[in-house]
This record gives sequence, C-alpha cells and structure tokens, in this order.
Amino acid sequence: MLAYALIPCLPLLAALVLVLFGTRLEGRGHRLVIPAGAAAFFLSGALFVEVASNGPVTIHLYRLLDVGNLQVDAGFYVDELTVVLLLLVTGVSAVVQVYAGRYMVGDARHSRFFALTALFTAAMTVLVMSSNLLLTFMFWEVMGLCSYLLVSHYGERANAARAATRVFLVNAVADVGLLCGVILAFTTFGTLDIPEILKQTQSGLDIPGNTATALTLCLFIGAMGKSAQLPTHAWLPLAMEAPTPVSALIHAATMVNAGPFLLVRLSPLIVLSAPGMTVIAAVGAATALFGAVVSLTQTDIKRTLAYSTISQLGFMVFLCGVGAFAAAIFHLLAHGCFKAFLFLSTGNVLTSTRRRFDLPAPAKPAVGTLLPWALALALVPPLVIFSGAYSSLWLSQGFNSARIALWLVGLGTVFFTAAYLFKGFIAAFHTDVTGAMPGQRVRPSPASAGPLLAITAVTAVLVSVLLFSWQGFAVFLSPALANPVGVSVALPAATADRPLPLWLALPLMVALLGLGFAYVQARKSTGGAVPVWKQRLYVFFLNKGYFDELYDAFIVRPAQNSARWMWRAIDRDIVDRLVLSLGTGSMGIARRLGRIDMAVDRHVGSVGSGSVSLAHWLRRIVDAGSIEKTVDSLGRSIDTSGHAAQRMEPRTLQHHLLVVVLLLVAALAFFYLIAG
Amino acid sequence: MGTFFSEHLLSVMIAVPFLGMLALAAVRGRTPVLATTLAVTLVNLALACVLWSRFDLADRGMQFVERAQWMPTFGIEYAVGVDGISLLLVLLTSMLPPLCVLASWQSITSRLKAFMMLILLVEGAMLVVFTALDAFLFFMLWEVTMIPMYFMIVLWGGPNRIAAGLKYVIYSLAGSLLLLVGILGLSLQAGTFDIASLATHEYSPTSQRWIFLALFLGFAIKLPMLPFHTWLPDAHSEAPTAGSVLLAGMLLKMGGYGLIRFCLPIFPDVATYYAPALLWLSVAGILYGGYMALAQSDLKRLVAYSSVSHMGFVTLGIFSLNNEGIQGAILQMMTHGITTGAMFLIVGQLYDRTHSREIADYGGLYKTMPRFVAILSLFAVASFGLPATSNFIGEFLILVGVSAHHFVFVVLAMGGIVLGAAYMLWMLQRVALGTARTDVAGQLTDIGQRELLTLVPLVIAVLGIGLYPGPLLEAMDSSVSYVVAQLGAVQGQP
Repeated sequence: MLAYALIPCLPLLAALVLVLFGTRLEGRGHRLVIPAGAAAFFLSGALFVEVASNGPVTIHLYRLLDVGNLQVDAGFYVDELTVVLLLLVTGVSAVVQVYAGRYMVGDARHSRFFALTALFTAAMTVLVMSSNLLLTFMFWEVMGLCSYLLVSHYGERANAARAATRVFLVNAVADVGLLCGVILAFTTFGTLDIPEILKQTQSGLDIPGNTATALTLCLFIGAMGKSAQLPTHAWLPLAMEAPTPVSALIHAATMVNAGPFLLVRLSPLIVLSAPGMTVIAAVGAATALFGAVVSLTQTDIKRTLAYSTISQLGFMVFLCGVGAFAAAIFHLLAHGCFKAFLFLSTGNVLTSTRRRFDLPAPAKPAVGTLLPWALALALVPPLVIFSGAYSSLWLSQGFNSARIALWLVGLGTVFFTAAYLFKGFIAAFHTDVTGAMPGQRVRPSPASAGPLLAITAVTAVLVSVLLFSWQGFAVFLSPALANPVGVSVALPAATADRPLPLWLALPLMVALLGLGFAYVQARKSTGGAVPVWKQRLYVFFLNKGYFDELYDAFIVRPAQNSARWMWRAIDRDIVDRLVLSLGTGSMGIARRLGRIDMAVDRHVGSVGSGSVSLAHWLRRIVDAGSIEKTVDSLGRSIDTSGHAAQRMEPRTLQHHLLVVVLLLVAALAFFYLIAG
Repeated sequence: MGTFFSEHLLSVMIAVPFLGMLALAAVRGRTPVLATTLAVTLVNLALACVLWSRFDLADRGMQFVERAQWMPTFGIEYAVGVDGISLLLVLLTSMLPPLCVLASWQSITSRLKAFMMLILLVEGAMLVVFTALDAFLFFMLWEVTMIPMYFMIVLWGGPNRIAAGLKYVIYSLAGSLLLLVGILGLSLQAGTFDIASLATHEYSPTSQRWIFLALFLGFAIKLPMLPFHTWLPDAHSEAPTAGSVLLAGMLLKMGGYGLIRFCLPIFPDVATYYAPALLWLSVAGILYGGYMALAQSDLKRLVAYSSVSHMGFVTLGIFSLNNEGIQGAILQMMTHGITTGAMFLIVGQLYDRTHSREIADYGGLYKTMPRFVAILSLFAVASFGLPATSNFIGEFLILVGVSAHHFVFVVLAMGGIVLGAAYMLWMLQRVALGTARTDVAGQLTDIGQRELLTLVPLVIAVLGIGLYPGPLLEAMDSSVSYVVAQLGAVQGQP
C-alpha cells in the first residue's frame, strides 16, 4: 500500500533534485521529470485497478499535529473519486511535460519550469488523495504557489509580474473562506479526517442547519477562488501570462478543477444545506453564461480559451449545485482532456508575444484539427445533463425549479460555446498571411505527434465511456458521492433505455445555431451599421464586464493609498508623536538641567580659576612655588574634568537618566500604594 | 567530568558565551575573532541539541534544574531549569547567533571584536532569561539584553541610529521599570522570588489586577503590542543586520515568554478577565501591522511592521488560554524568529551590495540574482504563513485556539494573513520581478557560498517544521497542558 505514496513522492523528488542541482542540469530537467510523471501515472493506473476491485484504500503516513483536542494525521484516502482524478492529473501532467520538453527548449529558466511543474503535480496528487482537510488545504495552497511562480515565469515583463501578484492575491482572499471552513469543520465534527467527517454526515449526525450552511459557504468560497467563479474569476485570464504548457496543465486541465473536486469530495456534507446548494448553483450558472459570452468577444486566443475555461468550470459548479455530482466529475474529466488539447495545439502556432487569431499559413492545418475537438467540447455539457440521470436527485432536494434553470443555462452555454469556438475557427482560416510581422518565427509544431495522440486516445476512451457506459461511470463513482436518504443514484432503467438521438437532438441543434450565429457574424463584420445597444453590449463584454477595473478602483488602489495615508497620519503623526512628545518634554527638562549643569560647571571653573588667582596671590605673598604648582594643577584638573563631563554626556544620556528617575519615582509611588 | 557535564549542562551552556567573550579579548586579527565567535556559538548550538536529546518529553515540570544561593538576605538565588516552553526558545536562541556571525563576516568593518562580544553577550543573557527560575535573575538579565542591543544600534547602525537607539532605550526602560514594579509587587506579597512559588501564592484581589497590568505592559512593550510598537520599525531599520536578526529573532520573544511564564500561571483569573479585550487588541495589532507594512517603501521597515502583525498572532494565541492557542503561540514565536531572521539576513545581503533599503531602488533581480530571488520568495511566502512552511502550523493552531472564543477573531486574523500576502508579494513584484530600476540593481552578483550557508539552515528549518512539526509540539505539549490545566482549574473547565 505504501508504494502508492510514491505517486506524489516521485514528482516531488524530481522537483527537489532540480531545485538543488538545477544549474548543473540546466536544459535537461525534463529527462528527470517525465519519467517521474510517467511512473506516477502508471502507479495511478495500478491504484485504479486496486480500488475498482477492492474498494477504498487508506494509507497512513505520520502524525502531523497532536495538540489538545486536535489530531491531524497526514495520510491518503483513495476512493473511486480520487482515483479518477489521479488518472487525469498524472496523465495530463505527463503529456504536458513531454510536450514542454520540446516547447521549452532554450528557455533561460528551463530547470525552474520543470521543477515547478513537477512540484505542482506532486501537490495536486496529494490534494486529491489527502485523507485530511488540513492536508488538503496545505497542498491547495502549495498548488497556488506553483501557479504564482509559473505565471511569473517571464517575470521581466511588467504584465506578467503584475498578473502573478494578482493571481495569488485573489486566491488568498478566497482561501480565507476555505481555511474558515476547515476550522469550522473541526469545531463541528471534532476531527478533520475526511472519511470520518463523511461517515458522521452520512450516519445522520444532527448538525444545525445554519452550521451546515456556513460550512458549505465557507468551503465554496475557497472553491470559487480556485475555480475562477464570479466574481473572483478575473485571475484566470491574467494567468495566461504563463508559458502555454502551464496554461494547459494548471489553468485548464487540473488545478482549476480543485473547486468542483472539493465540492464533490464533501458532497454528503454539502447536500445538508439547501441554501448553500442554491448559492452554488446560482454562482455556477452565472459564471457559465458570463464566461461564454465574454469568450465570444475576446480577440486574444489564450484569453478566449481562459474565458471558455471559466464558463465550463461554472458549468461544473452548477452541476454540483443541483446535486449532479457524477455529471460534474464526468464533465471535469472530459473538459480537462479537451482543454489541455486545445491549449497545446494553440501553443504550436503561437509565440509568446503574438497571440492574435491572424495566424500565419503554416499553422492552419494545426488549427484545422481544432474543429472536431471544439465541437466535442461544446457538446459535452448537454450530453451530460440531458442524460437525465439526476433529475430525481435535485427534485428530492427541493429544487423544483432547478430543472428549467438547468435546461436554460445548459442550452445557453452550448449556444455561446459553439459560437465562440467556431468563431475562432473561422478567424484562423480567413486571414491572410501578409499580416504576419517580419521576422516572426512560427514554431514548427514541436510535439504534434506523441502527446496530442495520447490526449486523443484518452478523449476517445472518455467519449466511448460516455456513449456506452455512462451509467457504469455513475455507478462506479456513486459510493464516493452524496447518497441522501431515499434517493437512488443508480439510473432508473427508463432513462438508460432512452434512445440516444432523441436527447442529443436538442443540444445539437442549439450548437448548430451557435455555429450559424458565429458564421453570420463573421460575414457581417466587414461592414454595416450596428445598433448602439449592441455596440454597448459588445464593449461591455469585450472589457470582461469591467471586473478588473472595478477591483482596481475599489480595492487595490484604495488599499494601497489608505495604507500610506494611515502610516503617515496615524502611525507617525499620532502614535509616534505621543512618544516623541514624551521625548521632547524630557528634552526641555534636560535643557534646564543642562543649564544648571553649566552653572555648576561655571562654579567649578570659577573655583578653579579662583584657586589659580589665589595661588598667584599666595605666590606673590609667600613665593612658595611648590604650593602654587599643586593648587594650579588641581584647579586645572577640576576645570577640565568639568568640561569633560559635559562633553561626555550627550543629550541622550541625560534623557535616559531622567526617564529612569521619573519612572522610578512613579514606580515607587505605585508600589507604595499597592503595598500599603 | 562526565557527571559534572550532565549535572551542570544548563550552566555550562550559559557560561559558554560569557567565557567566549573573555576568550575574545585575547584574540587578535579579523579572521581569528570571527572564527572564535563562530566556534563559541556553534558549541552552544551543539549543547542545545544535547539538551534537547536528553529532555524528558513526559515531564511537565522543570528539568536540568540547578540552584545556588546568590543573595540569601533577599531570598534571591541563581536558579535555572528548562521545561518544554523554555526548550524551544533556548533552541532558537542557540540557532540564530552563528548565522549572525556569518552575516557580519564582511559587513561589520569597524570595532569587530566589540560587535562579536555584544552578540555573545546577547546570547548568554537571553539563555538566562529563558531558563531563569528566579524572578530577580530573570529581571536582571532581561535588563542586560537591552544594553548590547542599544550599542549595536548606536555604534553600527544606519543614518538615524542615535534617534532610533534613544527611542529603543526609552521604550525598553519604561517597560522594564513596569516589570520591576510588578516583580517587586509579587515578591513583597509572596515573600519569595521563586517563580514556581509565586504562582501558588494567593494575592489580594485589588493588587492582583495592578500587578498583572504592570507585568503585562512590561511584556507588551517588548513584544511589542499595538500601541507600543513604534520603537520597533526604527530600531529594526537602523540596526545592522545581525542586530535586526537578534532583535526580531530573539529579543521580542522575551515578551511572549514572559506572558506565558508570569501572567498566565500567576494570575489565571485576571488573565481570563482581561482575555477578551486583549484578543481584540491582538487582532487590531495583526491588521494594523499588516496595513502599515503595505505602506512601507523601505524593506527593513516592511519586515519590521510585519513583525508587529505576527506578534499580534502570538498574543492572540496566548490569550486564547487553551492548549492549541498557546502551543501555536510558542511555535509562532519560534518560526517568526526563523522567517523574520531570514528576511533580515536577506535584506542585509542586498544592503551589503547597494547600501540601499529602498524597494524602489531594485527591480529585476530575478534575472541577475536567481538564487537570491528563490530564497527571498520562499521566506516571503513563509512569512505570511503559506501552508507547508513553518509559520502556517503556528498560525493554524492559534486560529483553532481562538475559534473556541469567537469565530470573528478567526476571520479578522485571517484578514491579517491576506494583508501579509499582499505586502510580501507586492514587495516581491517590485524587487524581484520587472526590470531593474537603477543601474546598480542591474549589475548585482548573485549570493555566494557564505551567504548561502547563512540561509540554508533556515530554509531547512522552515520546510522541516512546516511538514513535520511533531517533535517540537511534543516537546512542549506536557508543559503547556500543565499551564492550561492551571488556567482551567480557575475557570472551572475540564
């Protein structure tokens, strides 16, 4: 069993070696990372077989914390849900790293790139396998760190630098919610052990409704951040500053899925709160539609794909919100594979500085291969939702209007998804090559064969799973999902027998409508007046709903400015000045004391000089040279020591003494009071 | 010899730095002085490890106790011992000085021998403070730690060193006088200076509150808590690198240690009575310190304000008055010593190169100093408590502890973590990323072997504690449980 702990450990080890010996291995990092990733993938395969045949696997590693009532064990809990995610994560990682092995050739930070992607793979595998909410949270954050560091890969660019900071900060705000959720879970259940929590919720533990709702919402805020749901979605397009393989791996196929994964992982807990579920569904639906519409207006290919990802993630969250957990996971897997493929194919034709749709001629065949996959991506959501397996579930949870909402959102998303994907396709084919900048080098599609084929194969497998054993998939996952009393997750026989073309026809038609819409728009775009409201609407979505600007104007700049103002006005002018006034007050007293001091000095001096004149007088009278000399030197030494004493003590020393004396007096008074 | 060593391990440890000072007087030449100091501090580190290995985890009381009459007329004795709470701070105190010596290897150019002696003096005095079983001994050495720090600031500091030193001394003296009042008040009533006996004595209800306040203010100024924090940014930013490390890494911890050693066990009711107010003050400190850090344009001031924020977490944990909170606070003190110490070392390395602490003078270091930026990034994220680094464990425990009081503290304190992420990452963005904003910044050389050696132990500590905090928590578990049990007995809780 412990051998399966190697799944995260192998990539972690590779990352560690690269961190330590990166300079010596510069340019060869992928030779270390790819085998590690591949091994992790094969181990995941073995684990899949293990879990499929023998049920969930628990691996205990070590005790992380043991303080008071809080016991946290670092360990893994691998069930059907985990194992499916593991295959996706390690599989896509391995493929992307193979691809990046060529894509990153000659990059100045080759070792850094591979160390971080390997670390990311390790962190994500720990996240999905973790048996403890605290461990989940820890590696949730480590993933975020990897994402931050990879977005700043081209950190010299001001855009990348700014984007990286913002990517992390948006997530940090959301993660406050998640950490609150973790602590709330501890105070509610008295443990952070995931199987234990699931057992408690499923055995009908009596949790107050408010607690369940608070817990659900806290966890969901974390999921919103990681999965770029409205209104925290703005970081994902910014994250496109990262190298394209990173966009494919982290910002499309794996990390962003952590949100839906978390919701599904804790689904037995989440279904306890109907308000929580409603919020989740609403946020997801809004995100799905918003992302799709914005995606249609973007001109940058990576940003288009980013908004498409946001939209699809919204869809997954929406599915979670209506209780269709198996469908969400299925969509998660399919989307992960498709989107990784799309990003990798765009990476073939894009250079880092030029990311428009007007692609040069040699790239066209590569873009051509996008079409079927784009269509498939557009069709996955309807395939999943219209299979109808979950209608009974959401009805039982009291979401009576959910069915209509589900249909509307689903169809709307399909329409826009088809439209923007087809728009990209048309744009790629209908531009002339002369637009290319001089000296522009198009990368010869570096890794077209291996990884893309691999993804194709995986996708094909998934599609066949969908068509032939969708029911099997849902049944396979069902032990890991919420299983509320009275609802059978296994499909009713009637829906399974429903003829395929019938429930595919409607979404297919809507998708075709979307294609047609995109085609008409492409034809029309050359001329003709556009109504003002349409223009306004277009500009609104082109600017991504002005979310970035709103954040800048209402959060980022006010925070920075008010912090500066507070520092000057309060910390320095009020708090500090109070102390300084104590200082200047004592300075005044010290000055007065200094005057006394000088008077004393003068007296000492006058004693000296008096004695000197006395000596002169004596000499004149008794001409005793020896006496004169003694007295004179005495006088002079007194004189100099007086001056020296004054020179020796700078103002500061006086202050200290003074403060000491004052405080001692105060202390004694205080002391007198309490002792008496 | 063997039995002498094992019977007097603690005294030997305390004596080593002081003897090292004497030895230094006889050493001449730059490298020998540095090497001798390094050797002395390393011997102390080795002794601390021996102490840790011989420490009995199950024993909740004092271990390695040594007592000798000192001023019998007043009932004052030399008495030292270690429990789980002291042990962690002793480890920290032994760990940082070698790194301070390494950091001063080239940057201290004048009066090197005196500087090295001051480092050893701080180390020796701090060891006594953290192990003293006698309140008077505690107070005396508490005072002693102030002196070397003052000279470090005033003699080797930056341009505003005189003013900063003055401020430091005024605050410290005010604090320690209150402390003196408190300790004298305690011993007058209890008739002893022995800390353990002080805790068992019954004090009159009116005096209790006043003595608690005097002690608390003394510790709060050192820590520093919110309204008393303004000495810290000045002292930190003007002190030389080693001074800042000692100040942030060790001296501030005396405040937290004092709260746990004096305020909680001696006045459990008063501590319980004031706890809600102090929790609010702590949260305010967390947010305020973080907010101030956001406004800083000077690297050292930024780190200093972040310390204010982190110390807010420490008091938040302590006044949660439960096991999770207090263990979290102690761990937070230790890990803050590591990460903030590291941050000051790192800033010092930049300062050695350019003699500028202004964030605006850098930029683009990512390109010229990749190794440096990697380590800077690690400590920047560790400093705001990124999970899997040491600070997270402390902060998490504190949050769990305080969640027993009210959830609003948890949410607000987490706001402090977000602020931490904001100022640290914004700093990283301006220092490490982008393009160089001055010619000097564009031509810097990456850190060398010695500088790397200074930081690597801290890197290992940060990640080690972050992923496997068990041994440290185990070491203090029984001692903290005992303190909490005493508190619980008063509150009538289990």
